[in-house]
Amino acid sequence: MKEFPVPVQTAEDPSVKKQSGNIFSNVFDELVRFAQSRSLFMLHYCTGCGAIELPPAMTSRFDMERLGIQPMVTPRQADILLITGYVSVKTLKRVILTYEQMNAPKYVIGICSCTVNGGMYWQSYATAKKLNDYMPVDLYIAGCMPRPEAVISGLRQLMEKIKIGEANSWQDYFKRYDYYLGNQQRLFGETWQTPTDIIGESKHYSLHTPETEGEHTRLLELHQRPLEPLEMRLGLSEKTEDR
Amino acid sequence: MHIGLGELLIELTLMPLVAFIVGMLMVLMMRRVGARLQRRVGPPFFQPLYDIIKLHSKETQISHGLIHDIGIIMAVGGYIAAETLLPVPGMNGIAEKGGLITLLYVMMIPSLGLALGVGQCANPNGSIGISRALTAMLAYDIPFVIVMAGVAFIYGTTNLVEVINIQQEGGIAAWGAVQMPFMALAGLFALQGMLGKQPFEVYVAPAEIATGPMVEMGGKYLGGLFVMQCFQLYTASVLYVTLFLGGGENWLFLLLKAFAVLLIPISIAFLFPRFKTDDLVRLMWKWPVLLGLIGLVLINYR
Amino acid sequence: MNALDLLLLTSLGTVLFSVVFSASLTGRMLLTMLYAVQTVILFQIDAGTEMVSSFGFEIFNHALGLSFNGLSWFFALITLGSAFFAAWYGLNQQQKLLHVGLSANVFSMLVLLSAGDFLSLFIAWELVSWSGVLLMVLGKQESLVATLKYITYAIAGGMAVFAGIILIYSWTGSLAFNAVTENPLSLSQYGTLAILLIGGFSVKMALLPFHLWQAEAYALTSGPASVFLGAISARMGLFAIVITMMHVVDLKTLDSIFLIPELFTFRDFLIWVAALSIILPTYTALRQNDARLLLAWHGIGQGGYMMLGLLMYDQMGSAGGLLHVFNYASCQAILFMSVFSILHRTGTTNLNQLGGLVARMPLSFLAMLVGIIGLAGLPPMNGFVSKWLVYRSLLSDGMAIVFLASVIGTLGTILSVYKLMHNSFLGQLRVEHEHVKEAPWSMTVPMMLLAIIIFITGVMPGISLELVANAQSAIGLTPVDYHLGGVVSANSAISGDLDMIWVVLVLFSGFGIAAILFLSAGKSRRVHQLDNYAGGHFLNANNQYQYSDNFYAGLMHIIKPWYRYSFKWFEGAVVSFVNLAAVFSRSFFNQAHMLIWMLVVVTTVMAVAII
Repeated sequence: MKEFPVPVQTAEDPSVKKQSGNIFSNVFDELVRFAQSRSLFMLHYCTGCGAIELPPAMTSRFDMERLGIQPMVTPRQADILLITGYVSVKTLKRVILTYEQMNAPKYVIGICSCTVNGGMYWQSYATAKKLNDYMPVDLYIAGCMPRPEAVISGLRQLMEKIKIGEANSWQDYFKRYDYYLGNQQRLFGETWQTPTDIIGESKHYSLHTPETEGEHTRLLELHQRPLEPLEMRLGLSEKTEDR
Repeated sequence: MHIGLGELLIELTLMPLVAFIVGMLMVLMMRRVGARLQRRVGPPFFQPLYDIIKLHSKETQISHGLIHDIGIIMAVGGYIAAETLLPVPGMNGIAEKGGLITLLYVMMIPSLGLALGVGQCANPNGSIGISRALTAMLAYDIPFVIVMAGVAFIYGTTNLVEVINIQQEGGIAAWGAVQMPFMALAGLFALQGMLGKQPFEVYVAPAEIATGPMVEMGGKYLGGLFVMQCFQLYTASVLYVTLFLGGGENWLFLLLKAFAVLLIPISIAFLFPRFKTDDLVRLMWKWPVLLGLIGLVLINYR
Repeated sequence: MNALDLLLLTSLGTVLFSVVFSASLTGRMLLTMLYAVQTVILFQIDAGTEMVSSFGFEIFNHALGLSFNGLSWFFALITLGSAFFAAWYGLNQQQKLLHVGLSANVFSMLVLLSAGDFLSLFIAWELVSWSGVLLMVLGKQESLVATLKYITYAIAGGMAVFAGIILIYSWTGSLAFNAVTENPLSLSQYGTLAILLIGGFSVKMALLPFHLWQAEAYALTSGPASVFLGAISARMGLFAIVITMMHVVDLKTLDSIFLIPELFTFRDFLIWVAALSIILPTYTALRQNDARLLLAWHGIGQGGYMMLGLLMYDQMGSAGGLLHVFNYASCQAILFMSVFSILHRTGTTNLNQLGGLVARMPLSFLAMLVGIIGLAGLPPMNGFVSKWLVYRSLLSDGMAIVFLASVIGTLGTILSVYKLMHNSFLGQLRVEHEHVKEAPWSMTVPMMLLAIIIFITGVMPGISLELVANAQSAIGLTPVDYHLGGVVSANSAISGDLDMIWVVLVLFSGFGIAAILFLSAGKSRRVHQLDNYAGGHFLNANNQYQYSDNFYAGLMHIIKPWYRYSFKWFEGAVVSFVNLAAVFSRSFFNQAHMLIWMLVVVTTVMAVAII
């Protein structure tokens, strides 16, 4: 079996300047980060256990809406991907697709021990053990299961990180896509692909680094049909053809 | 009633701006009322603003094509234009150049824009949502049109400025709600449908069609829809106040009345589950239409 | 020789030209130019006054004359405009019959529009009816069936008109237009004439219950023919009805003929026919899965608005009705063009087999967008103005229920045109349409020109209202009080003005502000249509991820039983009656012919001898 290098968590690379065409985020940086921290739309992916702890956190006992946290339905709308309990291999494919479809800045929260290290399913052939092998995780809330207080306090920590501008692990997925893709390919096989275009997106954010592409992405390119957006085109033809 | 161009321009800028701010307050009220009914605390005061700022400041703005973008612009822009057709205390905008029928039709432009944008997303959940939204529009517009006809007969005009003047000159006895209580009741039904709140929330239906039209909307696209919702709440409630509760003598009264009117549908909303689409149509074509027709007969034999 | 003579001669010349030269592309280009020339000649005629042609002949001591007034001018402009755009759109169509049929239609319509008395009206009416056939047979097998149906209806309508005209002659002894106005008839005579003439003309107009022929006949033929037929052909019926109301039975007379004593007059009956003509065909259109049929059914429905407006017979209503003829013609033409360019490129108009074409045919999409906004009657396109006028007039007359009916029609239109656009241009692009190209220039340029016309006359309705005002004064009404941006309604029962320039200005500044907000929030990233939410499912090109069949499922669940066999029973009853009559007469001739004939002859001879 092939060895994969252990990821080295590097600090913010000062050479890559944060570029954004967004007037709002340039001019009102502080305000925007504050607003981002106070308005979090949450997509909860609760196919494992642990989902039972979320309703108390949302409803009248603890009321997440006080903090501006709301449940949302589709990945496009959400900021937080909240994964509770174990993630089976089959589920993980969907989790990765969902994560890739979310709009940056996006945050992943793993709840319960199973997302941290496999928990009580450590020996299972069908579960993915460490969630952060496959996507960057901002926050783990350990426990089997964590109580709503723990969930809320975890979310408050995330809010604090967003406010001071440190919750940037979503960038890591674009910067080191090859590493994550490698782990995914190891689990799902070499034909693994999602209908999204991560490399193109990393260029869009200017987050394309040497580690974005590598042997695994080359493997991907061998079989993936490029999914370029359907450009509007006139495609006017010569008159002779139409007669 | 001749005002300078500069003054008119200021009005045209101020009217949508005020509508937006009041609309955000209305969204806040809606969420707070919902929270209180569920014995929660509810969101902080600036929550609607945070949401809108956050959505507009997302790094990723996923678009499915040009029509997707244009649809959102039409949805927000249509409402910005509609606000200038809706007279408020001290400002008439271009209300006299359009009137009630024009306002009704301009208010359809945002829906059309949204429908266009959602269509390009190539997501059947969104398309189902739009098909349901249009069906709902067909359902609630029929009682609403009866109400409109009643209003036009009783005041003898479709000009909203005159409608307000007639009511304010006559005092409470001249209010639409006193003159035609059946119509006012039918109008409340239509209002509930227009706001798309439970029990008539067929086209959002998060658990069923994944929020319908909003399914592929993220970032500023969703933000645009949030802005649109502010305008929608404002327009619907202020229009109701204009037609039935004598408009606003001043801003304080207008806002009091508008918030009080809005309280009715949103209190109902959080107490009911969702109807099926065909049940919605059936209900809308039965009771409010009946009320409206009774109202019309009463107006004719007044 | 005056301008009217020149117009008619040019039109006749165009027919001859098309017979000889329409085989070559240059010939077809020149043919298109000839319609433009006719339009130019039309503009030489003063719309405000009546112009009499120097052509004319005498038959049985009756002078047949041709003349033009504001009403004819208005309809002639729409006819020539439709023909011009249809011919341009059909530059690449090599079917000779199409071009001959088009020019023959234009000529016969011009003759009808300039008819100066009842006899020439009837002759031209038959010409128009039969030349319509030329354009209807151009499709596949199904168009022949539709044409046969049309012919049956047209003959029946023509016979009714003929009977009416004969009655006028026998009662008044004259065939001039002023025959009835100078020799007042009794109410029952007026009633008979109204039934025969309005009934006969409304077959062409496809008012209920004579509407079943129209959709198939207009939709299933070749593209440019559909454009022309859909835009203007049926409106000749409206023109003839206006002539009837002007010269035979005016609305006051109609209002004094009671069908139910003291409650329901003939005019009320017509108003309800018009209102139902709006609702039923519109909701039939909602059920169609073929884009062409959907549009054609809407054509029938929109006819109801025109009829309704004219039946109001006041300033605003009639202006709305007439203006809607113009507005509807432009919208219907552009919609048919867009749909036929889809057919040209993809080979189908089945709405369940299309989708996502906006990425490949953006100009056709733009054309359809403009068209549907106009047809649905939303600002800023022109359809809004005419519908607004009709609504205002209905409200002023206190007809709340009819007003409701017309709004129900509009809502149904919005629903079905969104279905039309969603299922063809929006949604998922199918694999087989990946390489579709935009329609050729010969098709897109007329579409774009029409789109500009629709928008301009929507923003500045004064342009088209001027023509309408001329037509109104020609039929003896006070012209509508218009300005460039809209109308003033100081003297109607319910006040309220319209100024489209302001509305559109504000609307577009609203769009502008929204666009600035939208664009300031960063650049969007385009994604492929398969990068889409599917509940975690992995989409690929073989997934049909599109919602198009049974588009308004919830609504259909309720209203489907309501109109399942609407009016088919009526047609069926008439058909079986005619069948029965045919069987009787055939058996009469087959079995007893010799003896019967001898008997008849002998009896006659004896009778004559005895007398």
